[in-house]
Amino acid sequence: MKHIAFLLLFCLFLLSCRRDFSAPVPNADWDLFFSAATRPLTSLAFQKMDGVYAVEEGAGAFGELAPAKWSYTVTGQDTTFHLSFFFGVDAAYMICEGKRLDSTILLNGYWRRLVGTQTGKVQLTIPKDSGAAFLLRPELTPGNDIYITGVYGNGNATPDFPLRFRFTRPIIRASMFEILAHRGGGRTADLLPASENSVEMLRLASRFGATGVEIDVQLTKDEVPVLFHDATLNERVVQKSGLLGPVKDYTFDQLSTLVRLTNGERIPTLRQALETIVYQTPLDFVWLDTKYNGNMQVLRDLQAEYLQKAAAINRRIEIVIGIPDKEVMANFKKLPDYQSIPSIVEYSETEAEAINARIWAPQWTLGLQDAAVDRQQAQGRRVFTWTMDIQKNISQYINEGKFNGILSNYPSLIAYTYYARQ
Amino acid sequence: MRGNKYFFILLFSLLAGSHSYGQEEEFSSQPTKRAQYAWVVYGGGGPGYYVSNSGAPQYLSRKISNLSHVASFRLMWHPDHLLKVGVETGHLTFYTYSFRDSVDREGVVKLKAIPVLVVWNMAVTKRLNLFAGSGVYFLRTNLDYRGTTTSKKTSIGWMAAASYIYPLSTTVGLGSEVKWMNASETSNGILSLQLQLVWKFLNW
Repeated sequence: MKHIAFLLLFCLFLLSCRRDFSAPVPNADWDLFFSAATRPLTSLAFQKMDGVYAVEEGAGAFGELAPAKWSYTVTGQDTTFHLSFFFGVDAAYMICEGKRLDSTILLNGYWRRLVGTQTGKVQLTIPKDSGAAFLLRPELTPGNDIYITGVYGNGNATPDFPLRFRFTRPIIRASMFEILAHRGGGRTADLLPASENSVEMLRLASRFGATGVEIDVQLTKDEVPVLFHDATLNERVVQKSGLLGPVKDYTFDQLSTLVRLTNGERIPTLRQALETIVYQTPLDFVWLDTKYNGNMQVLRDLQAEYLQKAAAINRRIEIVIGIPDKEVMANFKKLPDYQSIPSIVEYSETEAEAINARIWAPQWTLGLQDAAVDRQQAQGRRVFTWTMDIQKNISQYINEGKFNGILSNYPSLIAYTYYARQ
Repeated sequence: MRGNKYFFILLFSLLAGSHSYGQEEEFSSQPTKRAQYAWVVYGGGGPGYYVSNSGAPQYLSRKISNLSHVASFRLMWHPDHLLKVGVETGHLTFYTYSFRDSVDREGVVKLKAIPVLVVWNMAVTKRLNLFAGSGVYFLRTNLDYRGTTTSKKTSIGWMAAASYIYPLSTTVGLGSEVKWMNASETSNGILSLQLQLVWKFLNW
C-alpha cells in the first residue's frame, strides 16, 4: 500500500503543471472604422473629448464614472491619437483610436481589466447631433453635450453589450501632479501588450493614464546604461536564451544579440528610452531608478543631453536621477555639482535636503506623513509616494494626502481616482 | 586512460573489500532486519538529453546540442525502514548552442549546473529504487561572443529518478538510473541515463 501511494505521489509530482495566463489585445477589425470613407481625427477633436463621463449604460461592468483623456504617439512622420477611458472597477480601462465618417466620430479599440485577464473589443460612435459637430469644429470652445454610444464584447467576439457615456465636465490636472507608471508603464506580470522597461511599453504609458514614468537603469559590463529591473536575467522578464546571471556580466552587444524581453523586445539602452520619451510621447516626467552601484556620470551625461534636447523642441519635461539607498547616494555625491542635478531621493528626508533633491519620495506604507510632506513642500520640494496599486489606498492618498505624485503599476487607477474626484 | 585505470582499481578494491566481510546477504536498499543502519554512496555518470523548450533565440541562425553528459554523486543514510534520506551533487551541462548573428559573427553559449539536493529514496523492490529530491542548482553560463563571459545564477530545483541496482557483492551494486533533473526557476530540465556504482561503505 505504501508503495502504491508513493508511486501515485511520484506520478502526480511529475504530471503537475503550471497554468499560463494571457490577455492578448483583441483584434481591432471593424469594417466601418476601416472603410475608405473614414478620415483621421485632429488632435483638437481629441482634446475636446477630455473629460469626466457618466456611464449611463455599462455601469454594471465599469462603474458609474469614466474620466477620459487623450494621448499621442509619434512613429516616424505619423502621429497616432488615442482616447483612454479609466474606470474604478478592477483597474479597468479602454483605449480607442478615432476617425470621422462624414459628421460622425468613430472610436475603435479595446478594454481590459488589469485585475484579471478580461479584455474585449470596444466600438463607439458619436453622432453629429450627440456632440460630433462640436468636436469636429476647428476651434477650441469649452463644454458641450457629448454622448458616446456603442458596444463592448469579450475577447475577439463581436461586441454586443451596450455602452453609453455622457460628458459631465472637463478634467483638470492640477499643476505638477504626476501620475507615474512603474517600470516604464506597467509590469510584464500584468500581461500588458509590451514588456516592462521596453521602448514599446514607454509608447503605451500615456495611454494607460501616465503623465510620467519610472524606469529602471542598470549598467552593462561595458558601462552602457540599459533598462532592466531585476538584478539578474531571468524568465520573469526575458525569454530563455541560456544567458543567466547579472546584467553587468554582459556587454551591451551580447545582450542585444541574445536576449529578448518576454514579448520579444530588445533590452533598450537608456538613450533609446529617452529618445522615445522626448520625441514620441507626451510624457513629461522621467524617474531614472538607479539599480546599480557604480559610475553615475554616464547617467548624468544622458540626463543633461536629453534635458537640452527637450528644451530645444519646447518640450517641458523633467528627468530626475533616482537615489534609492545609501550606496547610490555615495556614488551620486561623487558627481561634480551634484546639488544642482535634478534628483529624487527615495528614502531619507534629510538626505533629500542635503543634496537639494527636487523630490522626496517615501514609500506609501509609511503613511500620509502630512507634517513631513508640508515641511518638504515648504522648502520647494515636491513629494511623491510609491508604489501604490490598491484602489482603497489610492483614494485615501489622493483625497486626504498632500502628495504631488503617485507611482503605480496601475496608472489608469490613479488617473481614474485623480480625475474623477475633481 | 589514466582515469579509466583508477576507476577499475577502485572498482576492484571495492569488490575485494566487500567480499572480505563475508556476509551472506547480497546488496539491497531494502532493510533486512531491525536496527540495521548504513551509509551508502552512489556515483554515476552518463549521457543527458535536454528536453525543455528551446533555450536558444529562434531569430538567430543556431545549432543546438541537446545531448551532453551528467555526473552524479549521492550519499544516503539507510535506516531500518523503507524511506531513506541523503544528499546529492554532481555536474551537468544542460545544453550548448552555437550561433551566427546578422553579420555572420559566431558565438557559443553553454549552460552548466552543479546541483545540491536533499534526496529521499524508497526501495520499491529489492533492486528497484525511486528517488526524489529538491534543493538548488548553481548555474553557470559560458558565453563566447564578442568576448568571453561567465555568469552565475542560483535556481531552486528538483530531481526524480528510478534506478535498478544489481548486487555485485554484499556491499556493492552496479546499477542504471533514469533521472530527470530540473532547475525550476530557469525552466531547464534534463533527462539522463546513468551507469551507477553503489557502495555501502559503512553499516552497523
